[in-house]
Amino acid sequence: MTADAFLFWFLALITIGGASLVILMKNPIYSALALVFTMCGIAALFVTLDAFFVAGVQIIVYAGAVMVLFVMVLMLFDLKHEVEAFSKGRITGAIKLATAGLLAGLVMGAIFYSSTAVDTVITKQLAAASGDPSKQLGMRLFTQHIFAFEALGILLLVVAVGAVALARSKGGTHHDQR
Amino acid sequence: MGQDILEITINSVKLILIFLMMVQAVPILVWLERRGSAFIQNRFGPNRVGPLGLVQLLADAVKFLTKEDFAPDKAVRSLFYAAPVFALIPATLAYAAIPMSTPISIAAFEAFGSTWGPYLFRVQGYEIGVGIVFILGVSSLAAYTILMAGWGSGSKFSLLGALRASAQVISYELALGLSIVGVIMMYGTFNLSEMIQAQQGPFQFSAFGYTIASTVDWIPNWGIFYQPIGFILFFAAAFAESNRLPFDLAEGEAELVAGFHTEYGGFKMLMFFIGEYGHMMIAAGLATTFFFGGYGIPGITAQELQQVIVGWGYADQTANILNAVLHFLMYNVKFAIFLWIFIHVRWTLPRFRYDQLMDLGWKTMLPWALANTILTAIVIYVVAA
Amino acid sequence: MINADFIVDVGISHYLILSAILFSLGMIGVLLRKNAIVMLMSIELMLNAVNLSFITFSKYNSHIDGQIMVFFVMTIAAAEAAVGLALIVSIFKRYKEVNIRFFEHLKG
Repeated sequence: MTADAFLFWFLALITIGGASLVILMKNPIYSALALVFTMCGIAALFVTLDAFFVAGVQIIVYAGAVMVLFVMVLMLFDLKHEVEAFSKGRITGAIKLATAGLLAGLVMGAIFYSSTAVDTVITKQLAAASGDPSKQLGMRLFTQHIFAFEALGILLLVVAVGAVALARSKGGTHHDQR
Repeated sequence: MGQDILEITINSVKLILIFLMMVQAVPILVWLERRGSAFIQNRFGPNRVGPLGLVQLLADAVKFLTKEDFAPDKAVRSLFYAAPVFALIPATLAYAAIPMSTPISIAAFEAFGSTWGPYLFRVQGYEIGVGIVFILGVSSLAAYTILMAGWGSGSKFSLLGALRASAQVISYELALGLSIVGVIMMYGTFNLSEMIQAQQGPFQFSAFGYTIASTVDWIPNWGIFYQPIGFILFFAAAFAESNRLPFDLAEGEAELVAGFHTEYGGFKMLMFFIGEYGHMMIAAGLATTFFFGGYGIPGITAQELQQVIVGWGYADQTANILNAVLHFLMYNVKFAIFLWIFIHVRWTLPRFRYDQLMDLGWKTMLPWALANTILTAIVIYVVAA
Repeated sequence: MINADFIVDVGISHYLILSAILFSLGMIGVLLRKNAIVMLMSIELMLNAVNLSFITFSKYNSHIDGQIMVFFVMTIAAAEAAVGLALIVSIFKRYKEVNIRFFEHLKG
């Protein structure tokens, strides 16, 4: 087994294990920590795919900021009693599981079926990579995708205002009736 | 890792050496901190065990190792024991990415019936193209150790300290990240080695097609002359990131006993200590690299020094290694100066109040960092046009 | 279908299948869990799975636009987490629990 293949299987094990723990752990704090683990694994997978800058950003944004927020909120709440971690109903639960399984099966089947086709498509090299990939990324982002970039800036502003407004409210979404 | 068995071995040994160097620096820093604080406060400090109290470190280590391994009754044991271990990981991973000297190149040689090399060994744990992004990302993981320790201890002082500390760390991460955007734009790279390359030689830059150079050639081409605001912001944010005074709200003794490590003792406490000093070392190393020319020696470039050493009558190979050693010493001098500043500040400034801390982070440092970024961008655009 | 080649030759389909598995796990989390925070985390997991497939396609097509899409997804995920957590905090302040069924009071 080559080093690349070993690395992939190792990281796949980590990410799938972490993701399973996220949905299986009853205590949400453990779920959050498992998700951090998964995200670091995904960042490492990005590195194996030569996307170094995105991997770094993944760790900074997800593991370093978003998940810290989650963990902090969970620790602030300090949920004493998690009465029902999972939704009730065996039949509905089974249907939900089956739906997710079906989706996974469909996607994987499609990938298996089309993998030969994909392999032939990818042989044509688009835009041969030259120079610093991070520089290329920046050039592309601020020329081709400048509109999306600006729109995201506006979205972030709206979200920041909205989040502050929501968090400052005294509790509940409307005050007068229950 | 490397082409053949020799290169892989040396690279692995290098990683272990850098880790050991970091861990071994901690007792020396503790000694320096205690002696330094005593010096500042007109006391003696530890001066009984060995010459100048230097063997105090060993005595401390024995004390830490032989203390009872204690966990509180209400603690979540898995997190309580995992937190100190994870406290070491971000600091060591990040520190290994900082270059500490010029790369050592070894020409091909014959041994054991086959040709080895040529090799190029870098005096750093690993060379990463997006060095800064990696270091920022990895060191931002330190927030989890604090949260795990705080929540796992099952004590309200610990939890309050942890929440404060992690809020502080993620607030100041913004200012820290933005303060070095100016540097990144100026050098046009994320790579720390390339940044150091750009800071070699005497002070000079080109603007509007003219080259502006200093008349004396001992003024180095360091980043601080181009990014003074960036340096001040970076250094202040680095204090907050490493949870040291004047930003050590996490462990404000008067309010929170000892913050997130209230319930820790003995060796586990020591590991948090190593983590904290590790963050200090990363901050010192990064400040050196970004703003003070890294391992560069003022007044002489690496190539010139190589020529000088060859002129002394050494072979190229030996000269290369000597060159690297000299640069390594230079790096350590700068590094030590920054560490001393960290210690001096700790024993000079009083602690901030929590609202003052947040005000400083969000209302002062973040806008200044943004302004610095925009100003740098405009200047680069105008000057390079 | 599973043979030695499948284990040794890691290619585009491996990454895509991994991404699909992660996505499905996230979906199961959203469907089965009652805790709103865990549901949000599962959504983050699904977004991450999508990011992985974007990067995979970016690499195997030698085209950098996939990585740019990842930035956009990350931004949206961060925004979504901020708003979601703000909502959850405001629900928690009122009901002292973050069960998803309290979110039905959001109407009006």
